[in-house]
Amino acid sequence: MKRTSLSYHIIKNVLLFCIALFLVIFSVYYYFARKTIREDTRENSVYLAKTTINKIEQVLTLAEKNPQIIAKMLEASFVSKDSLVPFLKSMLSVNDNLYGSIIAFEPYYYPEQGMYYAPYVYRQDDSICTSILGDRNYEYFYMDWYQIPKITNKPYWSEPYFDEGGGNVLMTTYSVPFYKDVNGAKTFSGVVTIDITLKWLTEIITEVKILESGYAFLLSRNGVVISHPNSEYIMNQTIFTIAKENNQPGMRETGRRMIRGESSFQAAEFRSAWKPGKLWINYAPLPSSKWSMGIIYPEKEMFASLHRMNFILLVLIIIGLVSLSVVIFKIVSKLTSPLKDFADSARLIASGNFNVRLPEIKTEDEMKELYNSFSFMQKELDEYMATLKETTSAKEKIESELRIANEIQMSMIPHIFPPFPDLSQIDLFATLKSAKEVGGDLYDFFVIEGNKFCFAIGDVSGKGVPASLFMAVTRTLVRSISDNVHSPSAIVESLNRSISQNNDSNMFVTLFLGVLDLKTGELLYTNAGHNPPVLIRKNGETFMFEKTKFIPAGLFEDFKYGESSLKLESGDMLFLYTDGVSEAENVQGDLFGEHSVMQIINNNINARPQELINIMGNEISAHVNGYTQSDDITMMTIVYNG
Amino acid sequence: MKLFVVKTLIINVFVLFVSHLHSQSAKITFAPQWMPQAQFAGYYVAQQMGFYKEAGLEVEIIHPSANIPATDLLSSGKVDVISLFLITGMSAKNNGMDLVNIAQLSQHSAIYIVTKKSSGIDRLEKLKGKKIGVWKSGFDEVPKAMMKEKNYDVEWIPILFSVNLFMLDGIDAMTVMSYNEYDNIINCGVNEDELNVFPISDYGYDVPEDGLYCLNATYNAKKEELKRFVEATFRVWEYASANKTEAIDIVLDKMKAAHIPANRVHQDWMLDRVLEMMKGSNKSKDNGRVKKGELLETDFNHASKIFGNSSGNDLKYTFEEFYRSPNQ
Repeated sequence: MKRTSLSYHIIKNVLLFCIALFLVIFSVYYYFARKTIREDTRENSVYLAKTTINKIEQVLTLAEKNPQIIAKMLEASFVSKDSLVPFLKSMLSVNDNLYGSIIAFEPYYYPEQGMYYAPYVYRQDDSICTSILGDRNYEYFYMDWYQIPKITNKPYWSEPYFDEGGGNVLMTTYSVPFYKDVNGAKTFSGVVTIDITLKWLTEIITEVKILESGYAFLLSRNGVVISHPNSEYIMNQTIFTIAKENNQPGMRETGRRMIRGESSFQAAEFRSAWKPGKLWINYAPLPSSKWSMGIIYPEKEMFASLHRMNFILLVLIIIGLVSLSVVIFKIVSKLTSPLKDFADSARLIASGNFNVRLPEIKTEDEMKELYNSFSFMQKELDEYMATLKETTSAKEKIESELRIANEIQMSMIPHIFPPFPDLSQIDLFATLKSAKEVGGDLYDFFVIEGNKFCFAIGDVSGKGVPASLFMAVTRTLVRSISDNVHSPSAIVESLNRSISQNNDSNMFVTLFLGVLDLKTGELLYTNAGHNPPVLIRKNGETFMFEKTKFIPAGLFEDFKYGESSLKLESGDMLFLYTDGVSEAENVQGDLFGEHSVMQIINNNINARPQELINIMGNEISAHVNGYTQSDDITMMTIVYNG
Repeated sequence: MKLFVVKTLIINVFVLFVSHLHSQSAKITFAPQWMPQAQFAGYYVAQQMGFYKEAGLEVEIIHPSANIPATDLLSSGKVDVISLFLITGMSAKNNGMDLVNIAQLSQHSAIYIVTKKSSGIDRLEKLKGKKIGVWKSGFDEVPKAMMKEKNYDVEWIPILFSVNLFMLDGIDAMTVMSYNEYDNIINCGVNEDELNVFPISDYGYDVPEDGLYCLNATYNAKKEELKRFVEATFRVWEYASANKTEAIDIVLDKMKAAHIPANRVHQDWMLDRVLEMMKGSNKSKDNGRVKKGELLETDFNHASKIFGNSSGNDLKYTFEEFYRSPNQ
């Protein structure tokens, strides 16, 4: 695995957290900032549209007044035919916005004028001129400015047009129909018009500036472009032809809503060949002429300040994160630099150099605690090692002594087999396997009075050195007592008496002691609390001796032991053992048991003494299966060949 | 672009060569029946691209005005050839103008009667008693004849050329040219699905429209030149059909020069429709398909019947006297 530093982990986690936090904060901020900007721009542009429209309306509604008044006057017959032209002239002279005015009559309104009569007053250069319109080549009855108010019975703002005669300026005409009363019926009599140039209007629209490059445009009732920064569009295109040319159905829909007189502020549903990028549009109608003004501005500019701010914010955040990383790195490095020294020290301590110098800590924090712990550990280790050295040498000494004791103990019991090569009546094998360095089991055998074979097996209470000493005493006493006394009970009684005296430690020994007459095969025996041996008759019968009534030796000084006798036939075999055999324990706590002892003997009925003991030993090992031996294991097999 | 330059160069060289041959190239003056627009794209392209020069002709195009129609230009001798509707030409001849049809370009009628769906007029007969806008300056013969023959009593409102009265619902219906006013209405923001359209050709009035006319005297005097003029005209219409963008560029320039509001979308539409009108492929005559520029006698008779019904006058001349293709 790649080796990484603590500062790397801390920086990584802190940075990840900071970035996540930043993203959340930034998203929320961006959302609200955008909303606010959109709202502000909307308010601005709505206000701008309103003021611009008001400016235009002021002129248009004012212009509407003149023909409306004239129409009323004509209906009321206030003006005579002869005063029409002077009246129009004076109207034009006081109204700079007016370019021309016509009063056009229905045929034969003035019978003397015939079919056509339409006095026309107009500006030419600085003077005001007059002409009377209408002849076969100028049938004004079919002109929009005449025909539309006539048919619709409403005043009409004409679609703007270029007046070729008047210096090719953009013009529009406002026509008001007037009527006369003929036999009680309101009858259409003609129209009054005024022509106004739209130069001022174009100027107002051109003056509308919003954001960097936002602009306004004006559409006629038919969607014809009246004003637009792209002069190519003016009067040539309708918003619908532009939409078709650029394949923008959304523009057509917007145009339809505009000429219907709706108003809205929205993200434009179209792209423009004139202004690239995503656009926003605000549109509103001109109430008088039913034209519509639109204000367009690029979204890029609308949110430019936000994007600039975002950029600054981003740069600041990156700088912040980098500085944070550097600072964290410095702090963590400073704080953790002793850790590396501690690690070096620990390695040196592990290699045995307990007095290595620890890194110097000036702060009173966790690092100081670590320092204290290290220094405490150093001291403790040092002391422990000193104690350990002492203990180890003491233990080694004791172990060596015990080893010697074991050797001595082992040398006390006979261990040369066959023990009596010239005593053909006896075949014998015995083993003693101590659980500790020295044990408390014992066995012994010897010949007394030349023809009697005395043997004993015993187990001292407790283990270890005390037991081994008691065993040595027991064994010596048995030998010395049996020099004078030959009856097993007497021997045991004498032994009991001897070891019971001054037995402050209350130790005792179980003992099976037998005296076999080698001539007759009669066996006298006393069992002082020991495990009953097994008799294996030559004919294959096996049985266990009865359980003893006698207590182990060493408990009561005056205890009377009795003895039993048994006749052995030639070839009979005795198997003696201590409780280390029957109570051998495995890890589950199961005992080997007398039952297993009997079964193994029955299965190996013809085995020789040593052979039987080996088999028994193996079976015990198999049962114990490596579990710690808790008691000495002693076995002895005696075959009588009388 | 490169191809264009090479083409122009070749044509120019060829023109120089030809004009050298005709060291005194014949002059023809021509007047379309209306202001510059894509309806006459072929003539402008021919002039601009040298198709007429190539034919050894020097062609001047003069436009009529609201006050001086093309027929006046012809009768006063100001122009040699004019473009006219078949019915208009027939009517003029009946009124004493000694003119002849030298080529029939359009083979179909482009006249529609349109109503707004909102008016509820969805069948022709519902026009009874309604106000229908119609051109004051002509082209009105066939729709008027149709209504008369069908006995639909309608109020005809003569209008000059704008669609404003229709847009303002001052009239219930309007006669339009498929290539012109119909698209103007669409370009004023009315969607096609908001209109009911009655093409008069669907009601048995598929009368051919644009044709070329000259005075009989001119025909006799300049037969050879007129033949070249007609041939070059057909060639250029084919060229325009294959090079629409270039043709529209030329038309737009012409319109701008004449201070007429112009936009490509509408002129594209017009050129497409006009080219469609010229196709005679779905027409047949006894000995096969109609030839380019041919006026079919059946169409003449059909038009003559309509003319008779609408004006109450009989034709004072025969088909042969009326149609004198210089190619014959």
